Amino acid sequence: MLPILAARAALRFGPPAFGTVLFLAAWQVAHWHYGAFILPSPWQTLLAVWATLSSASGWAALGATFGRVGLALGLSGLIGGGLGLVAGYLWLIRATLAPVATILLGMPATAWVILTMIWFGPSHGSILFTIAIVIGPILYIGTVDAVLTRDRRLEDMATSFGASRWARFRTIALRQILSSLGPVFGIALALGFKVAIMAELVTNVAGLGAQMAQARAHMDIDLALANVALAVAGLVIIEHLVIRPFQTRLGQWKRGAA
Amino acid sequence: MATISHSFSARRVLDTVSLVIRPGELVALVGPSGCGKSTLAAIAAGIVKPDQGRILRQYQRHGMVFQQSRLLPWASARDNIAYPLTLGTLPRAQITARTHAAAQAVALLPEDLDKLPAQLSGGMRARAAIARALVVEPEFLIFDEPFAALDPALRRRMQDLVLSLAQARGFGGLFITHDLHEAARLSHRIAVMDRQGKGILGSLVPPGTPGARSEAQIFDFTQEARNHPLLHDLVNVDERAVTLDCACDTLGFQRCC
Repeated sequence: MLPILAARAALRFGPPAFGTVLFLAAWQVAHWHYGAFILPSPWQTLLAVWATLSSASGWAALGATFGRVGLALGLSGLIGGGLGLVAGYLWLIRATLAPVATILLGMPATAWVILTMIWFGPSHGSILFTIAIVIGPILYIGTVDAVLTRDRRLEDMATSFGASRWARFRTIALRQILSSLGPVFGIALALGFKVAIMAELVTNVAGLGAQMAQARAHMDIDLALANVALAVAGLVIIEHLVIRPFQTRLGQWKRGAA
Repeated sequence: MATISHSFSARRVLDTVSLVIRPGELVALVGPSGCGKSTLAAIAAGIVKPDQGRILRQYQRHGMVFQQSRLLPWASARDNIAYPLTLGTLPRAQITARTHAAAQAVALLPEDLDKLPAQLSGGMRARAAIARALVVEPEFLIFDEPFAALDPALRRRMQDLVLSLAQARGFGGLFITHDLHEAARLSHRIAVMDRQGKGILGSLVPPGTPGARSEAQIFDFTQEARNHPLLHDLVNVDERAVTLDCACDTLGFQRCC
């Protein structure tokens, strides 16, 4: 029994561990080739991360970025997801919003950073707005698609047993829609982090991006890489603590049905 | 059902169809692909509101068994069976008791009740779908080609199950099928639908009563019925000649047709 469990664990965790080691090895080789001024070693970066996490300002920057992304994700989920839900059911709303969604999706994130900085000045609100306006259309389109691709025959089944419109939505449609939204939320979260850091870097408002701007000004490559590592680590942690359990809880049946 | 007419996207799929089913009578409805059988079943079940016509129901509750089961893929067999009861205001204890009774009636094993539909065999899924229809204690059951996707041996077992349940509980029903042998085995009467949905052409009555017919009787009846003018389209229609927009009932009633 024990060898079987060990073999399963090796199969499950072996390849990702090997991939991580391969990446760190390539990084170390590049460090040896280019030197510490251009590319600090993984160990130096880890020390810089530790230094950042040992200071209150480091935690404040981390909290500011994560808080903004979380808040923007929530806002976008409410507005983009809510509109997507309505548009999924109402053809007229969908047709009306289709060009708006296309235009918003086509707008580069950097353009929004510049525009919001001009409109609202370098502030917490402008960064929040930038993140929300970039990921909102993604959540909108994802929700519309989730509504449209749900299995309506299950709702017909419920109708045959006398289910009301609300009961059909609550017990059947919503379950299918939420299970389709897991990957969309994952993408939105990752994009939200990228946009937040970019916006903070340009506007120099407290956060990981602002720390990176500071590191750039001081040519402190260790701190710059530490902030990148922190952002990536944070994203991975949130994905595994929030998005994956959400996906597993609501989308397990899809994997079971495959 | 009196003078039922219905159109999808300006294409008339049912044209003044009338069908009377007496209490306790199991009527099989046969007809070629695309003739509107599943749409008529959907109208009978209240899924689709007909453009014209009336449905007079002299029963309190009906259940429906669909093609391909239509079980909720995220819910266990137990929760699927209980689903119709959760839509009402029954106390949880009663829901549990009736769910177990329905599962027992279709011979679902207790250990299968916690499995998801994807973990059940085709036969078990069909049993769960029948149990879900039975849990509401229906006086009328609608079957929309429920066993079309099953292999012959399993289909026969499911037919036996329907026969025994109908005898034990005395419910009437409408059984949609392509299979004349299945219709002859299960029903008191076989109604034949026009290939273009323009009404019921007529009815054939197999000898005896469902469950009491011998295999020889069923075989003789179906052999004879194949030459009956009423069944000419069912026996001879070439499904390749049916246009795409009216040949879309392979998964049961769909809004496209």
